Amino acid sequence: MTALLQTENLVTNFYTYEGVVRALNGISLVVDYGSTFGLVGESGCGKSVAVRSMMRIIQEPGRVEGGKVVVFFDPDNQQRGVDLLQQSEAYLEHLRGDQISMIFQEPNAALNPIMSIGDQVAESFLFHKRKEMCARVLEALRRPDGPSASPLGAFQRHLYARAARNPRDLLVTLTTKIPLLKHWQRRLKKEALRRSIEIIGKLGIPNPDKVVKLYPHNLSGGMKQRIVIAIALACSPLLLIADEATSNLDVTIQAQILDLLRSLKQTEIASILLITHDLGVVAETCDRVGVMYAGNLCEVADVGDLFHDPRHPYTRALLAAVPRFHQEGPLLSIEGAVPNLVDPPAGCRFHPRCPEARDICRRQFPETVDMGGDHTVACYLYTDQARAGDAP
Amino acid sequence: MHTFILRRFFFLTFVLFGVSVLLFGILMTFSPERRAAAYVTTPQQAKDIPRIIKQFGLDDPFYIQYVRWIKEVSRGNLGWSLVAARPVGEAFWRYFPITLEMNLYAAPIVIFLGIWLGSISGIHRDSWIDHSTRIFAIIGWSLPTFLFALVLLMVFYGYFHLFSPGVLSDELAMSIINHPEQYTAYTGMLTIDGLLNGRPDIALNALHHLVLPITTYVIVVVALNMRVMRSGIIEELSKDYVLTARAKGADRRTIHYKHARRNALLPVITVAGQLVAMSMEGSIAVEVVYNRQGIGWWLAESATQLDMPVLMCICLFMGLVFVVTNLTIDILYATIDPRIRLN
Ligand SMILES: Nc1ncnc2c1ncn2[C@@H]1O[C@H](COP(=O)(O)OP(=O)(O)OP(=O)(O)O)[C@@H](O)[C@H]1O
Ligand code: SF4
Ligand SMILES: [Mg+2]
Repeated sequence: MTALLQTENLVTNFYTYEGVVRALNGISLVVDYGSTFGLVGESGCGKSVAVRSMMRIIQEPGRVEGGKVVVFFDPDNQQRGVDLLQQSEAYLEHLRGDQISMIFQEPNAALNPIMSIGDQVAESFLFHKRKEMCARVLEALRRPDGPSASPLGAFQRHLYARAARNPRDLLVTLTTKIPLLKHWQRRLKKEALRRSIEIIGKLGIPNPDKVVKLYPHNLSGGMKQRIVIAIALACSPLLLIADEATSNLDVTIQAQILDLLRSLKQTEIASILLITHDLGVVAETCDRVGVMYAGNLCEVADVGDLFHDPRHPYTRALLAAVPRFHQEGPLLSIEGAVPNLVDPPAGCRFHPRCPEARDICRRQFPETVDMGGDHTVACYLYTDQARAGDAP
Repeated sequence: MHTFILRRFFFLTFVLFGVSVLLFGILMTFSPERRAAAYVTTPQQAKDIPRIIKQFGLDDPFYIQYVRWIKEVSRGNLGWSLVAARPVGEAFWRYFPITLEMNLYAAPIVIFLGIWLGSISGIHRDSWIDHSTRIFAIIGWSLPTFLFALVLLMVFYGYFHLFSPGVLSDELAMSIINHPEQYTAYTGMLTIDGLLNGRPDIALNALHHLVLPITTYVIVVVALNMRVMRSGIIEELSKDYVLTARAKGADRRTIHYKHARRNALLPVITVAGQLVAMSMEGSIAVEVVYNRQGIGWWLAESATQLDMPVLMCICLFMGLVFVVTNLTIDILYATIDPRIRLN
């Protein structure tokens, strides 16, 4: 297995007026090249915080305060990872949307209401593909049947040439900031729009050249989600993070979007990190699953392993709460509620609700145990300490 | 877009009609005798009051009087101003440029300063920039305009002799009066007329006299604009589309200015529009304290002397200003917000 993204002991806190919300309490997981990793857990357990921390887009008053987020850009060289938490904001701006993209839960809120669809998709290209697009425009300008060379045209060509060499050239940057003068970018914007139309069309949206002129309120929820996906896919990222991308859509649209993601994984992107409440979706789409509870990762396993041989008491409870086709006996729900993360329970955060809790669980946080076969669990049921006679 | 504007325009004509009926209705609550007194200038004429009532039909039914009044108004005849000792219409055009001139300078400052301060305050929330602009805003907002204007006048005129009240220095005013053939009042606004007449000294002096009034007005009024902008920016920055923008690799400038600020501008347009409309009545306190004879000053004088035709005229004018402002706000809104344009 070759890792694409690996987190180690990721810790994120929110400094609110009520106190410090300890939303992530040391998450370690690995997303492999070519795999779909599912992250499940009850609402409020920190799934969104986890993936936002990975991309470093945690909103105020949150802060990523510890751990590592290592990305391996080269699948053949597993020694050369980049720790995103050590990089500058500018580095991350280049990475986001280009190498790692994210799609969101609420398509109705995820798009800027007063910006046209075309402009919003085109931004992705304008942020990351300036160089290529300038080169392309330049090529068109240089063609013999291109526009004649007026002094202004020559200046424009010069700017494109410089931008194609170095998109952050000083003169180029300056001229994009001066009113009127900045209109030399017209052809660049046209090129970005052309690419936007292309990608929107690829995602199965009819009449893409008309859709780019519309605004979010003109589209249905499913369409908006496709646009959000188009934005995320524009630059063919390595990793696509889907944060409950289908939760707020109705069932048929949900299935369509999932199909779309599955087919995209075969063609456009290397790996998917999929967050969902829906274990059915996990069973259908994921290769590996991580189960989260109150800011901790309880159990990580291949999808078959997890469903057939769940080890962590929380995972078992979660699976027992899912209605099955051949349901026998009552549907079990998990007693109690998700703890308040300002003052989480000491020791294992699940102990107030755990049927198998023992003394040590209340005192000390359980280490992660390797169960073999790429199956890890954080629970005292499987550690030597607990087996050494600390019975429930 | 055009039908949108046209529709709004028709709607607003109705509003104006409503305002005029309401105003006239309020006027009608005065007895015919009281209204007839408006035509009386000397004590000897007091016995003429019954004749005046007859002559002007002051005891006719409401609608007849209203139609008669509207006819007069539309012909430009608004009555006689006791305070100005000239017809109301003529007096209006004397005072209005003074107020308009101040607003021409103050409004852009209020709008842009408010948007700018509000933006940086909201973007750098809880930083020292935020705290200091907010303290500035609270002080400005809670100070009574009247007192604040007086304090500034005392300090900068009384103590430092840097600025003086009025609209023009005495020498320059006398030079205009003594050589009326050399000076044409094109607009009535001294800073503009001064330049048009090739007298930059007049323009500069008038501008110098505007400094304190504008400062007072801006400091008092900018606070509201700023606060709306600040809370708007903070709210927009917490929305999901900002996260989408960040996830696609947008830098901070793009997020703040291209995404969040444009959205946050919508409520600001409304507030700023209302502020400008309100200031058209001349911010009474500013004009009274700095002795600028504009609409606000005229309104204050007329109110104390119950100069009814003037009060009617100013109310009608304010109605018109609000109607025009609202139309402008609607159009601006529609150009920024596509959700409005299309339905
Ligand atoms: N802006 C914030 N301020 C304070 N606390 C926050 C903030 N965002 C998240 N949290 C805390 O982080 C915890 C995890 O939230 P998160 O949104 O990651 O949950 P989730 O697993 O994604 O839930 P859901 O399934 O509802 O999306 C929550 O309990 C919440 O208290
Ligand atoms: S560590 Fe203890 S409390 Fe936590 S899940 Fe395991 S048995 Fe339950
Ligand atoms: Mg979430």
